[in-house]
Amino acid sequence: MRIAKLIRLARGNLLRELGPLAVSASGVALGTGCLVFFLALGAGLDAVVNEVFPVSTREVEVVVPQLAIGNLLGEQKLDDAAVARLRAVRGVAAAYPKQQLRIPAVTRYNGLFFGRDIHMGLEVVATGLMPELVGADARMPFEDAGEGQPIPVVVNRRLLELYNKVFAPQRNLPRLSESMLIGFQIPVELGRSFIAARTLPDAQQTSMQVVGFSERATLAGVSMPLAAIQRINRKFGVEDRTYSSVLLRAQSTDDVTEVAAAVKKLGLEIDDTERRYAVQISAAVELVTLALSLLAALITGLAAVNTMQTFYASVRERIREIGVLRAVGATRGDVAAVVLVEAAAAGLAGGVLGVALARIAALLLDRLARTGLPDFPFKPRTFFAFHAGHLALGIGVALLAALLGAFLPARAAARLDPAKALTES
Amino acid sequence: MSAIELRGIVKRYPPREPGLLPQELLRGVDLSVRRGEFVAVEGKSGSGKSTLLHLLGGLDRTFEGEARVLGCDLRAVSDAELSALRHTQIGFIFQSFNLLPALTALENVLLPDFFGDGLPDAERRALEALDRVGLAEKGRARPAALSGGERQRVAIARALVARPPLLLADEPTGNLDAQTGEGVIALFRELHREGMTLLIVTHEARVSHAASRVLVLREGRLQSEGAEAMETE
Repeated sequence: MRIAKLIRLARGNLLRELGPLAVSASGVALGTGCLVFFLALGAGLDAVVNEVFPVSTREVEVVVPQLAIGNLLGEQKLDDAAVARLRAVRGVAAAYPKQQLRIPAVTRYNGLFFGRDIHMGLEVVATGLMPELVGADARMPFEDAGEGQPIPVVVNRRLLELYNKVFAPQRNLPRLSESMLIGFQIPVELGRSFIAARTLPDAQQTSMQVVGFSERATLAGVSMPLAAIQRINRKFGVEDRTYSSVLLRAQSTDDVTEVAAAVKKLGLEIDDTERRYAVQISAAVELVTLALSLLAALITGLAAVNTMQTFYASVRERIREIGVLRAVGATRGDVAAVVLVEAAAAGLAGGVLGVALARIAALLLDRLARTGLPDFPFKPRTFFAFHAGHLALGIGVALLAALLGAFLPARAAARLDPAKALTES
Repeated sequence: MSAIELRGIVKRYPPREPGLLPQELLRGVDLSVRRGEFVAVEGKSGSGKSTLLHLLGGLDRTFEGEARVLGCDLRAVSDAELSALRHTQIGFIFQSFNLLPALTALENVLLPDFFGDGLPDAERRALEALDRVGLAEKGRARPAALSGGERQRVAIARALVARPPLLLADEPTGNLDAQTGEGVIALFRELHREGMTLLIVTHEARVSHAASRVLVLREGRLQSEGAEAMETE
């Protein structure tokens, strides 16, 4: 039997049984709607986690183990030789050493700050990065221009988000955008600490200039060109030949495990704090999504049971008609197919309705969050990420639930004795 | 050549109550119907006329004996082969019309086209069948909007659309008024003249009079009426 004829035959019955079938389809819609809603919520929250903890799957941060015996004896260090060894590790595409500013530094700002008169003093924490690592994130040259010149700095975007959502509202400071801050200069005094209340003998005044925003920049402070950090450390007579960490970029994601093992063989350690946070939060999100999806599956299962009851009732009411179908040449398979096509139509309608309901619920919830929740850091524009796969899965699950629900009634219809069916009153 | 050959057909139904014997509705039925013959089967209500018809149509295979319809051994073929036989070789007409209420008259006539490999030029054939029973204008009407006589004529059109060589009818005029019934009988005569084999179960003399042979189902056996068959011409 061709599908078009089957649909034509099922159509009339669908219209006749519209009420009970609408109830069945609504149950399926509720179940699949919940499923799509929770999957989209899980994906949306995962996207938020990725924004807060942007972890590259190809990169690892190498540090000196804090409790290594070799380290206590001064043997384990990240110098140029160690960086060369790391670059030679199989699977490593690039190595980017980093060095922290090892002297105290402060910034003091008195005056107009984007329309506000402020008086502010802060300790400066800085990390040196290779310019290649920052790349196009720097809108102005990110290179050490030498002593007496402003030191270019890049700031982590998440730091700007924290400033705008937490610091600025609390201190009644203006909210800032990246473009407002590019080129902005801040005075800095190298060799001085407010906290320790001391000033080094060669303390000097200079300035920092914001040249860009990058996820590569440290979250705890600002990032300067590596050469500038080394120059300043050297000038103040502190260690400038060893690095605080080295970022290794693997040739591919598959190489990361092998690279990490090789790093450990060299007596070094992988700092994966941020990666661990991301993995743990993602796992929690996945777990909750899974639990809610199971709940949705349960609802869909109940809807399938309801569909089964509806179709059993429908078959009971149509016993004589089924006898007629057999009398004009329908096989058992044809009879089952007629019932299953009706179920598929109900399932399809339920699936489309469920997906639409999920979308509407998400829009309403996002709107509620926008207006009802306070502005917090990394507050997303939407908590949901609807992928085409989710929508296809929702409609597929609805179809499957309806077909599974109608399977036994369809089988019962197919097995009806045509002679008895024709004499059914 | 025989259209229908039955030998020693026994049909039992399970006992109505535990402890009772099974009911034997057909007790060794023998029947031979030539191609092109018009046979009427009479019998009291509950004598097994409809059971015999269902058996001939391959709708009921739980019987004993030998049954061949249009050369097909009903007990030897598969369920799918029986469906194929009913699809193109046998037309059914029921007393209570048995139209599908959700379909239009035309769709009801087209019903055999929905199954198997369909019917060649089905739409045209269905319109022709409706025209033949005088309902060319009622194709779009649903059964609920038709009179009893019109419904039966739609059912006849459905039985004819596949142009089957054998027509089985169960009390086809039982629910019709005299005038409509006459029209249906006239159509049967016409089909008989065209060479179709008809076996009609009835308890109405006017139908039996149209048949070339009349049999009576009595106490589970088919007996000749003894009366001379009336020529339809």
